[in-house]
Amino acid sequence: MRLVLIGFGNLGRGLARALLDKGRALHSSYGLRTKVVAVVDEYGAAVDDGGVNLRRLLQIVEGGGQVPDYPGGKREKPAVEVIEEVEADVVFELTPTNIETGEPGLTHIQRAMRAGRHVITSNKGPLVVAFSELERLAEESEVEFRYSASVGGAIPVIDLAKNLLAGNEIRAIRGVLNGTTNYILTRMSKEGVPFDVVLREAQELGIAEKDPTLDVDGIDAACKVVILANAILGMDAKLADVKVTGIRNVTPEVTKLARETGYTVKLVGVAKPDLLEVAPKLVPLGHPLAVGGTLNAVTLEMDLAREISITGFGAGPRETASALIGDMISIHRSVGAR
Amino acid sequence: MRVRIEMELEDVPGQLVKALEPISKFGANIQNVVHQRERKTPLGRVPVTVIFDVDDRERLDRILKELRDSGARITLVGEREGMVKKVVLLVGHIVHTNVRDTIDRVNSLEGVRISDLSLAMGGAGEESAARIIILADNEGRAEAALRLLDEIAAEKKLLVIKEM
Repeated sequence: MRLVLIGFGNLGRGLARALLDKGRALHSSYGLRTKVVAVVDEYGAAVDDGGVNLRRLLQIVEGGGQVPDYPGGKREKPAVEVIEEVEADVVFELTPTNIETGEPGLTHIQRAMRAGRHVITSNKGPLVVAFSELERLAEESEVEFRYSASVGGAIPVIDLAKNLLAGNEIRAIRGVLNGTTNYILTRMSKEGVPFDVVLREAQELGIAEKDPTLDVDGIDAACKVVILANAILGMDAKLADVKVTGIRNVTPEVTKLARETGYTVKLVGVAKPDLLEVAPKLVPLGHPLAVGGTLNAVTLEMDLAREISITGFGAGPRETASALIGDMISIHRSVGAR
Repeated sequence: MRVRIEMELEDVPGQLVKALEPISKFGANIQNVVHQRERKTPLGRVPVTVIFDVDDRERLDRILKELRDSGARITLVGEREGMVKKVVLLVGHIVHTNVRDTIDRVNSLEGVRISDLSLAMGGAGEESAARIIILADNEGRAEAALRLLDEIAAEKKLLVIKEM
């Protein structure tokens, strides 16, 4: 399987490392041989038909270099050209999320599909902006399109709902979908530390971004609600359809009042056919969604199975690589079955 | 939830015990039993009122089915006052925006009562937080109370945190 990586930040490098670690196992367990034939970052590309040496590329980039510093690298080579010119089976779209335009990821994915490449992405932007268009384009182009990594990091919630729980009518999805806010709420609740102080601490630890708006105002969680609603409930939702309240007004006193009556405050995303919402909610202590730290959790409510909850790490390069590699194996299986 | 059942039993020995058995069998907690021998029906049956707490609707339905199957004639299934409890947190300038008015407006709804309010005052000029416990006669009235609280909160710029 010939792979192209668009984006070589935390997630791209995490995937490269996982591919190095798992190369042998992928072949022995799944009969899957992978070869990365091109890697692109914002500065240019490394293209090698015989396979890019990922160990070498990681050394270069982690030593402060850029992808085009790789031997034979092409500076300012645009991603779209690589996508169209380099013969490949799968394009990984791993560029940063832009929730307004979905770009540049949206164009990357569209071009890749039109060129007949299967696409795997972690990028929420294109999914929030143009979910149904992309699903349609994948179908028309007869390519596979996977985006497990876009919601819940390592948690395979989309596959769980679509494949393992097939036959159920899923009525509601509720989840703690943002690790940063969950970390802040957990610390506030356990130690009574005010919002500003925990936020600063989270930023120092690299748990929160320098601009924490997307996380603390609930927008990142809202993007995930949109993706879950579209992917699992078959809706055609957009970000504007989600009623969003963040956690800026939650104080340690609030978490204390909650705890005294057996609750904890969580930023909960809800996707139901008649309601898309992200807001701080009272979750009973001991409920599967009452997870601590940076954990994510999702509860599916169904007609047959009733309730199923799943918990895990919602972010991090290694955890996200789990979802990306899983998607790749899933494509290998379904394409092999054709 | 707290439920009240009125039923009519045959006036033969052992009927009351037989009627109470399914209720406790499904984990409901009996609060009160009124056995009214003096108010026999024209057919000679004895009216009995049982009040109990049960976790969910499904268990209640199983209890009712078993009672009917055993031959009890159920005449009324009601929800006792204050059966539905909702916990709500409010954040914002709760006192400055007239907390008394907030409470009065919710209490003015039929079948709804605020049973408890705990306030955590912020520093001078800062926001405070409050926990309100609402008791309502049934789920519909509880929902109406929460909708009204949403309206009041929007008007007074308060954040409402509800149960999931």
